[in-house]
Amino acid sequence: MFAHLIQDPPKNFVEDPAPPVVPDAAGQLPRLASTFTDVDGLYYFTIVVCIFFFVLIAGVLAYTVVAHRRKTIDQAPASNATHNTPLEVVWTVVPLIIVMVMFAWGFKGSIDMTTVPVDARWYKATAKQWNWTFTYPNSTQESYGELWLEVDKNAAFVLESTDVLHAFYMPSMRVKRDVIPGRNQTVWFRPTEVGVYHLFCAEYCGNDHSRMYAKVNVVTAEQYASKPPPWVKWDDSTPSAAAASAEKQIYRTLCLACHTTNGAQLVGPSWTNLFVRQADGTVVGAQREVVVAGQRQTITVDEAYIAESIRKPDAKKVIGFENLPMAAFALDDQKIKGLVEFMKTLAPAAK
Amino acid sequence: MTTNVPALDAGAAAAGPRRNFLDVATGFWSWASTLDHKRIGLMYLVGVSLAFLCGGLFALLVRLHLWEPHGTLFSNADYNQIFTLHGAFMVFLFVIPAIPGSLGNILLPLMLGAKDVALPRLNLLSFYLWLVGAALATLAIVFGGFDTGWTFYTPYSLYTEQAVVTIGLAVFVLGFSSIFTGLNFIVTVHKLRAPGMTWFRMPLFVWALYATSLLQVLATPVLGITVLLVAFERLYHVGIFDPRLGGDPVLFEHFFWFYSHPAVYIMVLPAFGIISELVSVHSRKPVFGYKLIAYSSIAIAVISFLVWGHHMFTSGQSTYAMFAFSFLTFFVAIPTAIKEFSWVATVWRGSIALNSPMLYTLAFLIIFSIGGLTGVILGALAVNLHLHDTYFVVAHFHYVMMGSIAVAFFAGLHHWWPKIFGVMYDEFLAKIACGIIFVGFNATFIPQFIMGSRGMPRRYATYVPDYTDFHKASTIGAIVLGCGIALMVYYLVASLFQRRQAMQNHWGGVTLEWHAPTPPPVENFTTPPVVTTEVYDYSTLDLDTMRRPVQ
Repeated sequence: MFAHLIQDPPKNFVEDPAPPVVPDAAGQLPRLASTFTDVDGLYYFTIVVCIFFFVLIAGVLAYTVVAHRRKTIDQAPASNATHNTPLEVVWTVVPLIIVMVMFAWGFKGSIDMTTVPVDARWYKATAKQWNWTFTYPNSTQESYGELWLEVDKNAAFVLESTDVLHAFYMPSMRVKRDVIPGRNQTVWFRPTEVGVYHLFCAEYCGNDHSRMYAKVNVVTAEQYASKPPPWVKWDDSTPSAAAASAEKQIYRTLCLACHTTNGAQLVGPSWTNLFVRQADGTVVGAQREVVVAGQRQTITVDEAYIAESIRKPDAKKVIGFENLPMAAFALDDQKIKGLVEFMKTLAPAAK
Repeated sequence: MTTNVPALDAGAAAAGPRRNFLDVATGFWSWASTLDHKRIGLMYLVGVSLAFLCGGLFALLVRLHLWEPHGTLFSNADYNQIFTLHGAFMVFLFVIPAIPGSLGNILLPLMLGAKDVALPRLNLLSFYLWLVGAALATLAIVFGGFDTGWTFYTPYSLYTEQAVVTIGLAVFVLGFSSIFTGLNFIVTVHKLRAPGMTWFRMPLFVWALYATSLLQVLATPVLGITVLLVAFERLYHVGIFDPRLGGDPVLFEHFFWFYSHPAVYIMVLPAFGIISELVSVHSRKPVFGYKLIAYSSIAIAVISFLVWGHHMFTSGQSTYAMFAFSFLTFFVAIPTAIKEFSWVATVWRGSIALNSPMLYTLAFLIIFSIGGLTGVILGALAVNLHLHDTYFVVAHFHYVMMGSIAVAFFAGLHHWWPKIFGVMYDEFLAKIACGIIFVGFNATFIPQFIMGSRGMPRRYATYVPDYTDFHKASTIGAIVLGCGIALMVYYLVASLFQRRQAMQNHWGGVTLEWHAPTPPPVENFTTPPVVTTEVYDYSTLDLDTMRRPVQ
């Protein structure tokens, strides 16, 4: 078991964690960035109670040890009291009252923390050994190891595990919930401060438990609503990466309802026959019958045609779909290129 | 406590060198086949001390590894094995059996005025089962180790490619060892009390062992069944805990904590018992609120069965379950608080001897007040949701397990050492070691409270740089603590070779064990004692016995 002791030096925790937690004024908890003020209030209340009792106990002991130290072997105790009923009632009843206050306060706080508000936005956090995947409302794009939330909006999460137990823990938000395979757990909070925060896995889950980390960006409403949203990262490093980005972020959100990728016809033409794959593997534009200003034409599909059909759908209408309207989409060239790459992946082999 | 026996067994002493339980027979076999509760207790003492030193070594490795955020010594996988070994060795091989097995075994019959425990053969069997359990645990390391944490949470413990079945078997066997000890003590307390030793004349250590035994007998079978089910699940895929087979991993948590919460009290009640004895003897005062302390042991034993859910507040249990478990958790704090206040009141205005057992006792009273009070913080539901599974929890239970239980064990060891062996250790070194342990312990765990509140999760092989300073402080504390313990081991072992004579009744105790010869003979008392006075009646103390060296 000690085989790796020297040969396999441990790697860093995470390449790029969130900035260090800023402690609150009392220096104990991270500065609260959600609305769960009961946690902090109750924490400091119990701390004060604890310090009071600790000082009481330590003080009494310190005094009596100094004052009543045995100096000769036959020294008798200064008191032989074995009972004091009023005192015993006090030290039973007073702590009982105090802990009942703590109990009620804690229970009230936990009810708030486990009751998801009706207006919450629902996200999904999927935990597996050893990373986090997040999905967003009204977006097909997932993000990995990093999460974006809008400030002052209630965020609720469905928590799913695909393997073992994990726990969703954000110290700055004061939330923790176990993620249990085979169950849907939920957790919610309302981030109140823009910033970047830690999300830890708090339930031991195997080798890289300590590296199961996500960075949570709480951003302003404008940043959150920007197009594309901040969690969307367009990858056009290779044609196939661009095709994958376009499929996930454009096709599945915008095009899927009218255009199939398997030849079936919906209200718009399927995308299967836009390009053809030739015997030597190259993909070229297919021939297509269209209506331009009332005239039939045959054109060769290329990037300019695709761009025009997306930005100005009425310019060239495909035969058979002349009377079906399509909304215009103002996609930039990068997105168009990605879509073209995606369409090329659908090309059938030339006959 | 007066009896019809002379406080000092003068008759036996006059007959020449007395044969005590240590020198009555020699050789390996005289120990391996002994039925004497004192010898079995000593074998337990050696065993649990070695387990403690192993566990402590693992703890030091954990702390050294965490010196830097990226970890200094091990791969993540190896770190996970080491913290698991630390937890498993400390919990199953040390904290649970330590006090009942060693001091309990030696003292229970002496305190009751009995010749031995009721079932001496069962007593020896329970020690051998402990030995088999320890051997299996060691074997599990050889078979590839285990990295599940001492809690064996499913489904991870079902999937990991390690020796989980072997360590499960070890826990199963150790469970039987614990059950047999408990059974033995219950029968002994019911059947072998000396004439006149009524229930409310029993020393509080006996009460504590009795309450512990009830828990051991009632709760441990649940753990045994649970680890068996885990083994079945791994070997035959029955589908109890594995969600892929339709099982429920949370069910395991319920089973596990149904045992392991009462187990916390199996560990801590004997420590409470030791402290109750020591505050009385070293303040030369009857225990304040004797009956309330006795009853509170039983109350804790009963309520502790109903609070297991507080280990699972984040697992998504129902609001009603949260309500009940949190309420009962706060409720169990009250008998515990009563004990702490009663101990302080016992010391109050006593004739306080600041010798090494008392220093360890005072260290316990300070550390346990922090351990108990931080438990109250964790019982508060909303706060628990933040602190659960962080270093705050780690620090809290180390204040109870190490700072309270182990320190109480040390206190008891120092207190009864001259009684058991008839020799005295170096008091000066003992006081120094107690100070080092106290400082080192607090230096180790106070930083852990703070980083836990700030969100440092437990069981992390590496961590974000936010927590580096706290980890470094904690590691330095652990090294100091380790030095203190090394010093303690040194002077205790050295005392056996230096053979500086102890006094007959070294500290001036009045419970029955101090009326037996020192060290006690095999049959404990030359004449069976009869109890005629109340417990902790220091008017019966014969000061001469404190000045007369062991023959």
